Amino acid sequence: MELVDRLQAYVATRLPRALDVAVANLERIFGGGSRETYRFTVSYREAGRDVSRRLILRRDPPASLIETERRVEFAAYRAFFGTRVPVPEPLWLEEDPRHLDHPFFIMEEITGCEATPFRLMAPPYDAHLKEIGRQKWTILGEIAKADPQALGLIGVMASVAPDEAWRRELSLWLRDLDADEIEPQPITRAAIRWLRANPPPPAQRISVVHADYRTGNFLVDETGRIRGILDWELAHLGDPLEDLAWGINRVWCWNRDDRAGGLLPKDEAIRLWEASSGLRADRAALHWWEMFSCVKGQAIWLSAAREYHDGRNQDPIMALAAWMQCNSQDRTMLELMGHLP
Amino acid sequence: MKLIMEVVPQLPTSYAQQALSGSATILAAAREELDRAAGRRIEENRALRRLFAEAKGVVTDSDLAARLAEAAASEEGSLLISELDRSNQQLRALLIRLHEHVEGLKGDAARRVEAAIWAELRASTERRRSMLGNF
Repeated sequence: MELVDRLQAYVATRLPRALDVAVANLERIFGGGSRETYRFTVSYREAGRDVSRRLILRRDPPASLIETERRVEFAAYRAFFGTRVPVPEPLWLEEDPRHLDHPFFIMEEITGCEATPFRLMAPPYDAHLKEIGRQKWTILGEIAKADPQALGLIGVMASVAPDEAWRRELSLWLRDLDADEIEPQPITRAAIRWLRANPPPPAQRISVVHADYRTGNFLVDETGRIRGILDWELAHLGDPLEDLAWGINRVWCWNRDDRAGGLLPKDEAIRLWEASSGLRADRAALHWWEMFSCVKGQAIWLSAAREYHDGRNQDPIMALAAWMQCNSQDRTMLELMGHLP
Repeated sequence: MKLIMEVVPQLPTSYAQQALSGSATILAAAREELDRAAGRRIEENRALRRLFAEAKGVVTDSDLAARLAEAAASEEGSLLISELDRSNQQLRALLIRLHEHVEGLKGDAARRVEAAIWAELRASTERRRSMLGNF
């Protein structure tokens, strides 16, 4: 049976009061190395009314750029839906592979928006880059100050002590790096030695960390309004500086200048985040997390290269991500360590 | 560019268009890499051997010194990319070990070796610089 038919059968089970459930316009969305993402339309009759909804399917692929937990991702969407952190409404999580071969979840589509960085740097969005940047780091501040307990995420996400957050994240990504690097990485190894020798202070609070908060992972409409924060597959509890550091990493400078995320100067991004979160971005601690974000980035790019190289996932995004980012990530580490003129 | 300008718009879905655009971009990057592939590996392997020849008298670990001397005296057995890569990987693995070792040494000689390592790492990123990167 085709994917569209199997999806239709599944959706019908989730809408027990609906009649004539039909799935149409199933279309894969390019990008996203950790899930296969599709948009589709579901139409049905319910209580005498014709209903048509545009939905998103996020399905685990056979092998992914990042091995992640879809239950946590779904919980993050559910936790933030309806808050000041805009996210699409999550609908159904399905971990039984008999329906679509792999676990998946379905959420509402936020329509009329763009997420692709290259397109956001061009008309009509480029007229709003400052405003998009202002929202981007303000929303990240909202994530940082949100209470994980009140959001119902304690227990869903593993707890961590403030003085252990850095060590846990570093260990996690080193495991991937050690497993997946195809050739020796002397700059990354030097950065790892520095990270171990210069640990950051304990986190000032334990927050929800999105962990892939960057230009490309949020939806923007044509007026420059951020309508949805996406791709929560790496979300966890940890030091909120981790998110800030990842977002200002040089590899996301899509305009190839100093604007963090292609949007705003780094100092302004930090100031906006501090104002929104009520937290302080201690520069020495942030520097540690910036260096960490480079090591994490390199682990992700090298894992993508490995997946593509070994033939486990031959989506072009896997090769493209590695080819595009590895060298920039090395140069960013050199800059952060003071070895780039 | 022909793929992107002429073929991509004819594809029926956004996914197919972007997947082919991505593949075309990879082809363009591969063209950049193909031209310099042998050259940059030979240049880098030579630079690393020179660095090891200078560093072998500074290190305090006799086993490492012997490995540096052996690597410094080694030569390319073949100009096949796969063979040059094999040499490069062996040399870069040794560079990591040397770097870690000299970081723990005191004195001007060790600092000079460390500075030479950073200079080589800087040069290595320039040799690998890709048209695709943002930075």
